[in-house]
Amino acid sequence: MFFRILKKDLKRKKVMNIILLLFVILSAMFASGSINNMVSVYGGIDYFFEKAGMADYMMLTLNQGGNDPAEATILNAASVTAYEKEDIFFYSSKNLLKDGAVYTEFENPGLVTSINNAKITYFTENNEPVKEIAPGHIMIGGILADPDKTTAGDTVTLELSGVSRDFVIDGYIKDALFGSPFMGNSRMLMNDDDYSYYMSDEQIRDASCGCVYYINTNNIKELKKELSTATNALFAESKATFRMTYMLDMLTAALMLVVSICLILISFAMLSFTIKFTINEDFREIGVMKAVGIRTAAIRSLYLIKYLCIACVGAAIGFGFGLPFAKLMLGSVTKRIVIGNDNNILIGMASAAAVVIIIVAFCYSCTRSIKKLSPVDAVRNGETGERYGKKTFLRLSKSKLPGNIFLALNDVLSRPRQYLSMLITFSLCLLLITMLATTANTLMSRNILFLFGTTESDAYYSSTQRIMETMGSDDPDVLDRLIEDIEEKLKENGMPGKVHVELMYTLPVEFGDVKLQVTMQHCKDTKATEYSYLEGYAPAYPNEIALTPQILDELGASVGDRVLIEINGEKREFIISATFTSFNQMGKVGRLCESLEISPNDASSALSFQIDFDDDPSDETISVRIEEMKKIFDTDKIYDKDAFVEISTGSAKAIGTAKDLVLIIAMVIAALVTVLMERSFISKETPEIALMKALGFKNGSVCARHTLRFVVLMVFATLIASALTVPFTALVSNRIFAVMGALSGIRYRIRPLEIFAVYPLMISAVVTASAFFTSLYIKTIHPDAMGNIE
Amino acid sequence: MNTVIDVKDLCKTYVVNKKQNNVLKNVNFSIDEGEMVAVMGPSGSGKSTLLYTVSGMDKMTAGSVNFCGKELSGLSDNEMADIRLDEMGFIFQQMYMMKNLTILDNIILPAIKSKKKGESRSAVEKRGRALMKKLGIEETAENDINEVSGGQLQRACICRSMINRPKVIFADEPTGALNRTASKEVMDEMIRLNNEGTTVMLVTHDAGVAAKCGRVLYIVDGNIRGEYRLGKLEKAEEIRDRERKLSNWLMEMGW
Repeated sequence: MFFRILKKDLKRKKVMNIILLLFVILSAMFASGSINNMVSVYGGIDYFFEKAGMADYMMLTLNQGGNDPAEATILNAASVTAYEKEDIFFYSSKNLLKDGAVYTEFENPGLVTSINNAKITYFTENNEPVKEIAPGHIMIGGILADPDKTTAGDTVTLELSGVSRDFVIDGYIKDALFGSPFMGNSRMLMNDDDYSYYMSDEQIRDASCGCVYYINTNNIKELKKELSTATNALFAESKATFRMTYMLDMLTAALMLVVSICLILISFAMLSFTIKFTINEDFREIGVMKAVGIRTAAIRSLYLIKYLCIACVGAAIGFGFGLPFAKLMLGSVTKRIVIGNDNNILIGMASAAAVVIIIVAFCYSCTRSIKKLSPVDAVRNGETGERYGKKTFLRLSKSKLPGNIFLALNDVLSRPRQYLSMLITFSLCLLLITMLATTANTLMSRNILFLFGTTESDAYYSSTQRIMETMGSDDPDVLDRLIEDIEEKLKENGMPGKVHVELMYTLPVEFGDVKLQVTMQHCKDTKATEYSYLEGYAPAYPNEIALTPQILDELGASVGDRVLIEINGEKREFIISATFTSFNQMGKVGRLCESLEISPNDASSALSFQIDFDDDPSDETISVRIEEMKKIFDTDKIYDKDAFVEISTGSAKAIGTAKDLVLIIAMVIAALVTVLMERSFISKETPEIALMKALGFKNGSVCARHTLRFVVLMVFATLIASALTVPFTALVSNRIFAVMGALSGIRYRIRPLEIFAVYPLMISAVVTASAFFTSLYIKTIHPDAMGNIE
Repeated sequence: MNTVIDVKDLCKTYVVNKKQNNVLKNVNFSIDEGEMVAVMGPSGSGKSTLLYTVSGMDKMTAGSVNFCGKELSGLSDNEMADIRLDEMGFIFQQMYMMKNLTILDNIILPAIKSKKKGESRSAVEKRGRALMKKLGIEETAENDINEVSGGQLQRACICRSMINRPKVIFADEPTGALNRTASKEVMDEMIRLNNEGTTVMLVTHDAGVAAKCGRVLYIVDGNIRGEYRLGKLEKAEEIRDRERKLSNWLMEMGW
């Protein structure tokens, strides 16, 4: 008998059951997809490193003909448990040509590796391991794995010391060691025959060879100490540091994690609403069943079985959609890393099963209200004065609002619980977009310029190559002459200004037993007081330095302590006068006082040339001048403050892409929720719609009332999201910025028009259009359908 | 007297499970301005369908309905909606009202939607309150619909049907869900409206209610079998005699 009732119910209440099924599918899809993403993101870089086979410690060396003195140091180090050596040779942008011209400009040297000698696993864009490369073909990774710089299918020439060969670019690789833009290097994989062809040249062997060591150890601290004597090491860092270089990718992934959590919240809010809604809809039938003597437990079991059936079917379908959905969410934001987990099917199934359990639990909890429903509800349409509190707050007679707007607003305010899940959904959708947009905008704004250890200048001319030419030179005035040359050219072209550059020195720092290589910033043309500090005072004397908290932690020192720094072979004592926060070197930097005498020839790298025009021009004038300077210096790499930050973080674009993806997902979710909710409302309100029509309301008017409810909700959602954008962005992004090195002081860039108008309008347009088109179903309801309750 | 409703060869057919069900078969009748006409007949005879089809709430299958000079069969949904809003009033057996509005707001809603009168909202409110006072429910103006009795609610429905000063009020068993006292109160109001010039067409099962009308149409199997003219109810004392006469006629018709 019960199954006959159940069968009839499923058939007769087709619309509501299908809506519930769709919500279950959505919930299962969001839950399984999002939990998979959460596990993937949580595993994040460790998963990538494990798959790639990264060691505990990596060292890059420069040697002659592959005869590497560093290897002896490694062999003698007691803390080394195992190591592998990958031969490489270096190339620069002037070595990579297309049709005789430089193919693409890049600053730091690139590395060429033979795939046959690869000691870590490189992955294709589809996360497949690269096993072989055909002769005459190459694959590219690192900073050149960017469609703006290189294009798959292009034929390029690699020419070193007169040795030249053409290659077709097969595609991009994901390189665990040099994959992050923070590393600033590129990697080229080629066939062993091609590699040997270059290595057969003596000049290349002598001038451009190097090695990458992948070293495993049981004592990283000891290993650092033991390898600090390897003089030909270009850099050596632990896996933990390389992990940090991917923090920008992890920032995007972490934001996706937030999106996933929001999606799970949305899905359960929708489910909770739909179950309560459908059970409340059945008051009449529950009343009738009670009236004929069916026990509450039996009625409850009827609903539980029904929801269990729907939940199982919906969860199975949702699980099917969940995995591609998860892939879509993460795939577009993890271009450089392999992200995922090996248990995604298991997790998906567990999540879908959880959705079933939660639905049945919700249903069990909601069916408690069956106890309260009496046979009287069947007679009185569930509207007994004893059970229902006051519903109306607004008065049409007193209101100045047009009729439809009043009705829509009154509907929302009279039944807030009914609209709460939608309000949460719309607010979360908006909040996600505004948070991502604000983060992306901040990463492109001058607000965080201070985190790059530079002062504010009118223009930034990035030419590490030119600066590097001066390094290693014996002439101490070469950098000054370069700066004078730039200033002269600016003057000649009617835009006189001052030029300065931040130099980076890699210096050994000692505090007690701890010895570290620390990158120190120094600029003789600015004052240390022009930079901001967290604690203490700016280095005012040559024997004072400022260090970031990350370095202080590693040293175990604090402000006021004295450290030993080796400069020009001489150990000197410095007082730590302040701490500051920085994105440079993942926050592991120091600042020297401008009055310290240190040769620019000893610098290991430099930031951009900073140009300050004498006439304090407006932003518009600066833009014009930047375009002129690009012609004068024959480069595209001249930026204003915002562009400099954007190019330096390198993540704004990725976050922008993530934002666009989230925008699309949010719009699809908002549209789906709107369509399903509106269809539910129409189904529930059929008698009222029929009454309105009977009273002489036109279809357009009824549709307008229904559509306007969603507009009202969007207005509330916009207000909520607008109020929460700044605190929530700070809450989420501050932690991520902290991991990247910036511990405090982030001023988020809010673009009011974009945040408070454009995105709300976009979502509102989708919601309104979805509500309107769904509400057209009202046309099929006849005025005489007042007694019809589905 | 002007004819306000002129029904000719009206047919209504429902198709249920591929089976054709002819609910109204070539129905012909007319109603003059100021008349109060009751439609009676056994259950399933097509009384309510006739009311809904004549009032344009349901589409006719064939025939014509002329309402105040306008042929309803040729009107679009929107034109029909305008006529229902401004020229017709409806009272139903179940007291359907908008759940989220107060009694007063429910009453004045059609007037606010109507563009014909161009009244200010305060004037509409005043008129709504006056109507409520007339029907003795002014104290329920700010109540929700679940805070009043069935009789009060039905009187509120009458107020709503009157708010746009319609030419005809259509009532589908307006006293069907009410007790004797409430039923009498509601019918007294209907008679008063009719006496003030409003044409009324109502469907009822109750001979006592029908006896208060000027004319009774008896419908069986979708055909009007006959009509009984009682004339205007002048005095309350006449009602027993009218009811007796009508009952006799109904028995003759096979009631």
